[in-house]
Amino acid sequence: MKSLAAHGLTLGLPAGWEGRIQRRGITVAAEQTNAVVHLANFALPEQRDDFGGGVTPAMRSPDVFVVLFEYGPESLGTPLFASKGVPRVTAAMFGSKRLQRPLPGQLGCQHFFTANGRPFCLYVVAGSRAHLPRIIAEVNAVLANLDVQP
Amino acid sequence: MTNAVLVIETVVLVLLTVLVAGLLRSHAEILRRLHELGAGLDPDAPIGVSDPTTARLVDLRSSGSDPFADASDLDGAGLRDDAVHVSVVGARHRTLLAFLSSGCLTCQGFWEAFADARSLDFPEATRLVVVTKDAPEESISALRKLAPPDVPVVMSSAAWTDYRVPGSPYFVLVDGQAGRVRGEGTGANWDQVNNLLRQAVDDASDDAREVRIDRELLAHGVAPGDPSLYRTAAQIAEDSRA
Repeated sequence: MKSLAAHGLTLGLPAGWEGRIQRRGITVAAEQTNAVVHLANFALPEQRDDFGGGVTPAMRSPDVFVVLFEYGPESLGTPLFASKGVPRVTAAMFGSKRLQRPLPGQLGCQHFFTANGRPFCLYVVAGSRAHLPRIIAEVNAVLANLDVQP
Repeated sequence: MTNAVLVIETVVLVLLTVLVAGLLRSHAEILRRLHELGAGLDPDAPIGVSDPTTARLVDLRSSGSDPFADASDLDGAGLRDDAVHVSVVGARHRTLLAFLSSGCLTCQGFWEAFADARSLDFPEATRLVVVTKDAPEESISALRKLAPPDVPVVMSSAAWTDYRVPGSPYFVLVDGQAGRVRGEGTGANWDQVNNLLRQAVDDASDDAREVRIDRELLAHGVAPGDPSLYRTAAQIAEDSRA
């Protein structure tokens, strides 16, 4: 696995995957931005929104796109982020109605959690149900190697 | 008397001004001629490729006497405080790695050409990725201004070492599925590089067709050296008549 690290996050990428750990630019002086991770088993386009706008329409059935979006400290302790630790995904977590932008054939999965005092949303888009078992195995391999520093 | 001195001083001053202007013009002309001969001042330019108008093209299609470097993925930093990993080996497309720098003169034309990625007339299934050296060896503020909106820019001195890049601009074409470098070289402008790129892509397609034909012949029991491979058109026509 290839290692990728920035902004207090370290993760491993399976062969053929690519990724970016970034933080959006600050537009207002008082603004604080947090880490956004984009991972995919295809070429990530440069122009993409946090939750896959500009990415998912071009996905093919074997493709997978993973977002790890960090929220601000004000989200800590709220019921939405009650789940502790880096999760794993299962087939039951995926559905066509869990997509930010519904597209034919695609399935989405969203899970909010807190790891090492940092609140995150894990959002996964699978290109098709036919490839879901492999996609789940690869995503879980990435999550197993995800290290969140406080 | 004072007036005469003033007149002489003025004349001398005018003569000196003309002389200096002449020297500056002559110096500029010498620099221009040297630049045309390939002795530009671009420290990053590969040897023999220092000027856009006289750049020596290296054929992207063949390795020449030096074997290509092993292809590898790109690991580095982006221009916005981000960490980047770009998959090159194993990718289902070809990747054209453009090794550029913010300061090299010849690179400017490529940065400008890449600003509108849709106008590049790029071969299908080929992705362009710009690779610069790490931040300490680059001007990140200049790179942010130059970076094309639709093309990934990765700062990675390690990639320059891995791909044995002699200077900028330099281009390496990697076949993702084969996991190997198909060609590399440089050019004076995007049109020249794109022509070589297209030739390299066409040649790769021919290679793939040859491999497919060989596989089909072997599947039908026709091995290399089989006499049926060397029959003339006349022999085939005679057989079909008989």
